[in-house]
Amino acid sequence: MKKISIDPITRLEGHGKIEIFLDDAGEVQNTYLQIPELRGFEKFCEGRPVEELPRIVTRICGV
Amino acid sequence: MAKPKVALYWVAGCGGCDVAVLDTNEKILDIANLVDIVLWPVALDFKYHHVEAMPDGSIDLALINGAIRNTEHKKMAELLRAKSKVVVAFGSCAYLGGIPGLGNFVSNAEIFKRVYQEIPSNANAEGTLPQTHVKVPEGELELPALMDSVLTLAQVVKVEYFLPGCPPAPDAIMKLVELWATGKLPPPGAVIASDKSLCDECDRVKEEKKITRVFRSHQIVPDRKRCLLEQGLLCCGPATRGGCGQKCINANMPCRGCFGPPPGVVDQGAKLVSAIASIYQGNTQADIARMMDEIVDPAGTFYRFGLANSLLQRKRFPAPQGGSAK
Repeated sequence: MKKISIDPITRLEGHGKIEIFLDDAGEVQNTYLQIPELRGFEKFCEGRPVEELPRIVTRICGV
Repeated sequence: MAKPKVALYWVAGCGGCDVAVLDTNEKILDIANLVDIVLWPVALDFKYHHVEAMPDGSIDLALINGAIRNTEHKKMAELLRAKSKVVVAFGSCAYLGGIPGLGNFVSNAEIFKRVYQEIPSNANAEGTLPQTHVKVPEGELELPALMDSVLTLAQVVKVEYFLPGCPPAPDAIMKLVELWATGKLPPPGAVIASDKSLCDECDRVKEEKKITRVFRSHQIVPDRKRCLLEQGLLCCGPATRGGCGQKCINANMPCRGCFGPPPGVVDQGAKLVSAIASIYQGNTQADIARMMDEIVDPAGTFYRFGLANSLLQRKRFPAPQGGSAK
């Protein structure tokens, strides 16, 4: 089975890749979108003072 | 003559550094006239194999923003290092670890559990965690692995220059480009910013460096002309490099240290602890205990941007809980 990797996807903000699997006839069998990015804001914001969060979570996405 | 080749790349960042480049407005056209931009994922299409195909040393200047959080970031940093003559750690994440570096206060196991299993908005009843290799009927999928700790760019590859700021100001970006284009960059290893501390540059009136209590930023409206620290607000100015244009200070908000330590300071957070301790007017054990209570998140405040770059680098965990201390 043939695999086409689009890595990275550039028409989005951030990181992502697409894997397309083709069968022997060249037809698309299945496609997977993968997001390799993880920083863990959901966890490391815990314990930070609430009044500081506007200056932290703005760094989730700066675009 | 062929134009010099410039690459811009992001690892664990937010894209704010890339937007700061665009915030040079029409000057971006000067940059585009001066150089060939051979890689810039936020603006141009490219694939990893395009970079791999470039001859070693063929990129004249690589501006890399973001921290090193996973193995793909490390691989790309190493690849761009090999392809580039000059590498700049662009912005606070690449230079210091930045906000993603706060991830070093927790273990990877805690991050995975919270993000994929506990968050109420998840649709993940089985509690599946991301895997680096997954067998699917059609073959195998691969994802990069989280590094044990968030690293700075210079902890992974050799870096010639550091441009601090979250994000770097457009005029600082233009200055870097001009210094580079005219061959006037300082010796490698330099931080392209002021050599003074933020306090040394701050226009606010400084009187007596004494405080008897610490306020949180929502508890008082500080006088716009007086030193924020002297008004009891924790300001990272004493242990932070200047050159930022004092945007936070001008907004009447205390500094959080995104420019990193000034020259001669090894550990920004330790310097801040020392600065706060030296101005606090408390004599009894009870006074000191009260002040400790008033500083609600000392580590997350004093190492807001610089934990990965600090002597501590990360919180240590006993081995069985995961998050090994590399």
